[in-house]
Amino acid sequence: MAWLVVRLAISVSLLYTASAVFEDQVGKFDWRQQYIGKVRFALFDTHSQASKKLLVATDKNVFASLNSRTGDLFWRHVDKTGPEGHIDALLMHGQDAVVVVGNGRLLRSWETTVGGLKWETVLDSGSFQAAALVGVQDYVKYVAVLKKSTIALHDLSSGSQTWVENLPDSDTVQYQTIYSGGNGLVFVLGVLPNSHIVIVEYKIEDGEIMNKKSVEAAWMSSLESSCVVVSSGILMCVDQITQSLYTQPLHSAEQTEMRQIHLQTLDLEVASGFQPVLTSTQPSPAHPPLAEFILQLSPEHHILLQLKDGLIAPLRDFSPSYLAAFATSGEKTVVAVMSPKNDTACSINLFSADTGRRHLDTTIIYHTDPYGGKPNKLYVHAFLKKDDSVGYRVMVQTEDLTLTFLQQPGRVVWMREEALADVVNMEMVDLPLTGTQAELEGEFGKKADGLLPMVLKRLSSQFILLQAWMAHLWKLFYDARKPRSSVKNEITIDTLSRDEFNLQKMMVMVTASGKLFGIDSRSGTVLWKQYLENIKPNSFFKLIVQRTTAHFPHPPQCTLLIKDQDTGLGSLYVFNPIFGKKSQISVPALPRPILQSLLLPVIDQDYSKVLLLIDDQNKVTAFPSTKNILQQLQETASSIFFYLVDSNQGKLSGFRLRTDLSTELIWEVVIPTEVQKIVAVKGKRANEHVHSQGRVMGDRSVLYKYLNPNLLAVITESTDTHQERSFVGIFLIDGVTGRIVHEAVQRKARGPVHCVHSENWVIYVYWNSKFRRNEFSVLELFEGAELYNSTVFSSLDRPHPPQVLQQSYIFPAPISTLEATLTEKGITSRHLLVGLPSGNILSLPKMFLDPRRPEVVSEQSREENLIPYAPEMPIRTEWFINYNQTVSRVRGIYTAPSGLESTCLVVAYGLDIYQTRVFPSKQFDVLKDDYDYVLISSVLLGLFFATMISKRLAEVKLLNRAWR
Amino acid sequence: MRVPFYVRACVPALLLLFGLHACFSREEEEEEMLVHEEMRVHVSGRALVPGVRAQDWISSARVLLDGEKHVGFLRDDGSFTVSNVPSGSYVLEISSPTYRFLPVRVDITSAGKMRARVVNYIQTSEVILLPYPLQMRSVGLHRFFTERESWGWTDFILNPMVLMMVLPLLVILLLPRVFNPSDPEMRREMEQSMNMLNSNQELPDVSEIMTKIFTPAKGHGRAVGGANGPRSRAQGQRGGADDQRGGALGLRGGVPRRR
Repeated sequence: MAWLVVRLAISVSLLYTASAVFEDQVGKFDWRQQYIGKVRFALFDTHSQASKKLLVATDKNVFASLNSRTGDLFWRHVDKTGPEGHIDALLMHGQDAVVVVGNGRLLRSWETTVGGLKWETVLDSGSFQAAALVGVQDYVKYVAVLKKSTIALHDLSSGSQTWVENLPDSDTVQYQTIYSGGNGLVFVLGVLPNSHIVIVEYKIEDGEIMNKKSVEAAWMSSLESSCVVVSSGILMCVDQITQSLYTQPLHSAEQTEMRQIHLQTLDLEVASGFQPVLTSTQPSPAHPPLAEFILQLSPEHHILLQLKDGLIAPLRDFSPSYLAAFATSGEKTVVAVMSPKNDTACSINLFSADTGRRHLDTTIIYHTDPYGGKPNKLYVHAFLKKDDSVGYRVMVQTEDLTLTFLQQPGRVVWMREEALADVVNMEMVDLPLTGTQAELEGEFGKKADGLLPMVLKRLSSQFILLQAWMAHLWKLFYDARKPRSSVKNEITIDTLSRDEFNLQKMMVMVTASGKLFGIDSRSGTVLWKQYLENIKPNSFFKLIVQRTTAHFPHPPQCTLLIKDQDTGLGSLYVFNPIFGKKSQISVPALPRPILQSLLLPVIDQDYSKVLLLIDDQNKVTAFPSTKNILQQLQETASSIFFYLVDSNQGKLSGFRLRTDLSTELIWEVVIPTEVQKIVAVKGKRANEHVHSQGRVMGDRSVLYKYLNPNLLAVITESTDTHQERSFVGIFLIDGVTGRIVHEAVQRKARGPVHCVHSENWVIYVYWNSKFRRNEFSVLELFEGAELYNSTVFSSLDRPHPPQVLQQSYIFPAPISTLEATLTEKGITSRHLLVGLPSGNILSLPKMFLDPRRPEVVSEQSREENLIPYAPEMPIRTEWFINYNQTVSRVRGIYTAPSGLESTCLVVAYGLDIYQTRVFPSKQFDVLKDDYDYVLISSVLLGLFFATMISKRLAEVKLLNRAWR
Repeated sequence: MRVPFYVRACVPALLLLFGLHACFSREEEEEEMLVHEEMRVHVSGRALVPGVRAQDWISSARVLLDGEKHVGFLRDDGSFTVSNVPSGSYVLEISSPTYRFLPVRVDITSAGKMRARVVNYIQTSEVILLPYPLQMRSVGLHRFFTERESWGWTDFILNPMVLMMVLPLLVILLLPRVFNPSDPEMRREMEQSMNMLNSNQELPDVSEIMTKIFTPAKGHGRAVGGANGPRSRAQGQRGGADDQRGGALGLRGGVPRRR
């Protein structure tokens, strides 16, 4: 019962704090972009001519159906991350798509029109090798899955297992390929490296071994990379060392050695160091493959060959050519070949597969992006036109994960930037001022030079403003006459300018593939992109804004610190975040691994902040390192401190800068790694403002906050993972002195821990392994009723330890990520943004995470507006800031202040990107969206007329009375 | 410097104490559950949204076990299976952007036995069994939006500000029509009733004092008029009317001359 009362109390208090989205705000200032990741398999639905489906499976464990006309998603299924959700193979037959998931763990069949699961079968254990559709007498009925030691046949309509057989000698022979030509047999091909090939024939009906033979192939190491089946069941292999093609009919019993055909006899040669690649095509699983196949001899050389009566004949030589791919429509099979045209463009042409003749008027020009990567995959969708000729569309995937869908004669139908499925870091940068705005701003920045010039300047700038306003009016008038469709507000880099409230910003996003994006936050349009080549996978990126847009005429400047995870070596990439152009500034060479970087408020003559990079010998490199900067650094060196974290040794160490840019160790904290390991270290955000120094209590006294800007929250997890003994620890350490301000432990708890550290509080989430639930814990630090030194905070001079309050709550849902809102001046109340695995982002008022929430309500606590303590945190769907626009696998939330105090800009990224604005204390500084202008003006007018009329009436009345 | 890892800080009690005793007996059993993790089972069930065809919602829905620890998908009849789940206790939820489902806790013993129960995060040991295989029924649509304060005539009229403005207006306009204030009898009656209301006439009026201070003794008559403070205040509503009458008197004064 007490429960209900508490809940009621909560819901009553919520009436004041609830900040939800209104239905008419949908899409007004928010947008979502959905991504899939790097495409591994892509199949066009050739089932019917009018089909627009394109099925893709990606490295992000996503299986999706795209609309091939627009590039939008029909549906998308996001499986779990990691190897258990990895998509091994994608096969398609008619309306059904068969997917092998998790290294052969599951076999799923999807109905592709609605995206529903048809059936799902759990396969026997064993690592996955290959899968193929098996046809019997023109009908595709089964799917065969080859594992390391077994082969299983499943019915395509129900998923039930028809039979499963152990492979002979599977401990020595590596079975890698499966083939069926529709003649009632399934061939399994294995190899004993550098010895022989094993070919096993299975009968489709019952899995009986019909035949088993081995063929000498001493040169072969792997079947997968070098062999294909062509024509009516002939194994075709290529070997780089012997420069030969080898053939072996799968059916024949007698032959024990492969027939060798030297490439020299065909006047061909494999480029040195290049592993030649064979590509064949089997249009229908119920029929044998075609006799034609493509051999790639070098990165820029393909050749179309034909196997006829045991003889190999070249049909067409494509040199130079980047990519080549087969496509089939009806009876016709074609080859699409991409060849370089000039520096900025490639041309794609269509060739008939059986003759090698070029189809006329089939050229597609593909313009390569100068800021992008090279094309590396070509997917071709061929279709029959009305006059029975073959038409086609292509999808090109490039190194930087751009998908471009083209149709003749080179029109880009759509484009997807799949690199954005893996955003690792982002910043929001203010847009530049327009010329007139800059002029106005300039007036305030300059030193006063006499009264008269100031007046003149003011007048002239007012005149400029007037001019701009007139021009704006004229444009409005001009546009009003034009039909609405033609007045599209195209956003380009040139028309970008800051709006009145600084709500529109440039989102600079860094992706794991090394591609940088500049995105307009209002519309989500990609305004610039830059692909950084030679970025190793798993690199660590840190994006730093060195100079904001505020220092006209100096351009804004961002620096990206790229760190190789393996070697620790770093490099800097300096660019302009508005235009995406690489800066000409010379970058210091970093020969040693970088451990830490910090941005100092020390400003150079050109207003760029100084970035200090600390290497593994504790040497400091400053960037930029001009004379002025070095001098400033020398002067302030004694007050520059930094810390290093070594989670392997469980060591936190603090350093002070010396005037010669070397460092000295001043403190060290060791957290023994046998017991616990450091999982996270969180400082406060540098751009955060705290408006009020304290909190007014119910008895009108003030409880002052402990606002230590140097405070670090160090989160540890126990190495012992047993549920009874595991714990999560938190240390609050002063980053300058190394003093441990507070420590706390949550017993029977384990990670993953998410943490937010801001103002005078730390909020962290952990998993309570005893009660199996997520719990929030909040720590708040107060100085007490008096401030020790109210003017300035110094870590070195704070004798009194802070009072620490802590409270914990149950959170009734799992958590993906955590972040707090941020506003310009910090007046607006704070909300916590919680990313949930369901894809929703919950905006939770900080009020609920207040350690001063009383268990017993008193007059004072009511005065302070404290919500009575309740163990369970409420989750209300009205607090989902992204309503039904869920963000899959949300990994990070970025918050930035806007020019309006009430408004905080939020970007959630994961597989999708979602941008919106939140108003934690509602929009108190602007008129509401639904402000009724009509009503207010009609009331005013009504009052005006009423006054006029009543005045007149009163006059008449008085006159009449006077006459009386 | 070595950090003492023995913990001095106290973790505030967040758990309801009455829940603790009940769960001791079950704890051992649960612990046993977690030891053997080799056993892998399927969790299956069926989800239903009343009145909506399965095709219309399943493509955007997923079955999640403890967040994204295990993921399952829905078949076109609404049934689902989450495969390869090791033993333990999980919260199963159906995440759909449109429809709301209540989560269910699924316990899997090391022997592979399963049961479903109502999720209770506070009394985690409480067992209210649910049928297994799971029958998930949507409890409706998610409510994401709050209603805007709509504008209606009744709201407008019942607004205290409007009431404060309109009622006096009505009084001003209608009262003179109901009883004529120029009728001397009525006037006397009214004055009497007003005087009764303001019992202590001796109390000086603030506005009056202010006017006295700020108006130098120019017109003696006015000061006298002010002396009748309580009355004029009592007739505050009619103050304007009085002024007008003054004007009217002036007019009247002029009329005979024209005659």
